[in-house]
Amino acid sequence: MARTWLDNAFWETPKKQILNAISEEIDGNKTKRQVLKMQKINEDGTENEMFAEAVAFLGEDRINESSKKRLEKKQSEADVEKQKKLEHERAKKLEKLFEYKLETFEIAEIKESKNRLLKSKLRRSKSIPEVNLYAILLVQEAIEDGKTD
Amino acid sequence: MEKQTKGFVVVASRNSNFYSYAINLIQSIKDYYPEALITLCTEERFLDGREEEADNVIFCDSHYRAKLWGMANSPYDITMYVDADMECEHEDIMTVWDEMKDYDMVFHELTKDREEYYAIREFKYNGRVEKYSLCGGVCLYRSSNPLVMEFMDEWDDLYRRQFSGAFKPEGFDSQQWKQDLKHFDQTTLWWLVNKVEKYKDLKIGFFEDDIRWNYFTQYGYNKLPSKSGKPPILRHYSGCLQKDVPLV
Repeated sequence: MARTWLDNAFWETPKKQILNAISEEIDGNKTKRQVLKMQKINEDGTENEMFAEAVAFLGEDRINESSKKRLEKKQSEADVEKQKKLEHERAKKLEKLFEYKLETFEIAEIKESKNRLLKSKLRRSKSIPEVNLYAILLVQEAIEDGKTD
Repeated sequence: MEKQTKGFVVVASRNSNFYSYAINLIQSIKDYYPEALITLCTEERFLDGREEEADNVIFCDSHYRAKLWGMANSPYDITMYVDADMECEHEDIMTVWDEMKDYDMVFHELTKDREEYYAIREFKYNGRVEKYSLCGGVCLYRSSNPLVMEFMDEWDDLYRRQFSGAFKPEGFDSQQWKQDLKHFDQTTLWWLVNKVEKYKDLKIGFFEDDIRWNYFTQYGYNKLPSKSGKPPILRHYSGCLQKDVPLV
């Protein structure tokens, strides 16, 4: 019953002191696979034989290569996840902004204003400060026109 | 040949917030399409002067799905119904009439890949799994076609009966009916389209690049793209607004 190692093994740490690898043993028509996380040095200071066996079987270059690929994949997954989270937050912010605009449009001076241009600019605002800016202009206009208390 | 009238119908009933949403929607459509003809269907008690933004005002009752009555009472030959809690954000709104093509009714599609955003898409009927595929958030329809208007009338009437419990066809799962289907106007829409023989003659289609015409804000959580890569025309805020909490 010979033990082999799958070629997707990777270093858990940059210093290559921990190896994550899958061993495979074929016994008749049964295949036994085991995921192993192996320290290079045992707790008693001796060399971990299993670690050495896996490295010898796969070769350090191959492990380096698969570690690099795995890291790149993980990085890319993390980037996608980060982007998704960002999009989610952006969409949530847009929802909040919409509700904020609706509340702003309920301010009497803005509600009654016939200034289409400023109202349109307020509606197209991309942030709360921008909404506030156009709201101020609309209220100011109403004050100047004597349309407010 | 007399020119066909084309206009939007927006409905605000039951809750005063919908009146504010509707005014905002009307103004947003006019921001991008100043010549648009818009009918506001609302309750008289909500009027506060802003109804002047609409070209035409008609009054409905206080039913929370008065939208169906509004759709059935469009004054135009071709009508674009838009849910009040939406906002227009693109000048392509002007192209809406091109979407009519030779259809009688045009909808936004409820698709498998957007399923996670819908309250319900699949349901049991006669031991089989059926699906809602038409979303009533927006609907472009040929209101000059008597069969279309009969459909709209019946959608309104049947939905009211369904909601009150007077209409419950056989074949639906009782528990699911009570919990998810009874209150839903999509159920009535599904029934009319799929089970009522006379309406099988109606030609029903979907908007080209339909996500742009009813972009639920939840689609934005995953930045669902349109087919053309162009931004939304009408964004739908239905899932995020606190409709029962007064705006001010």
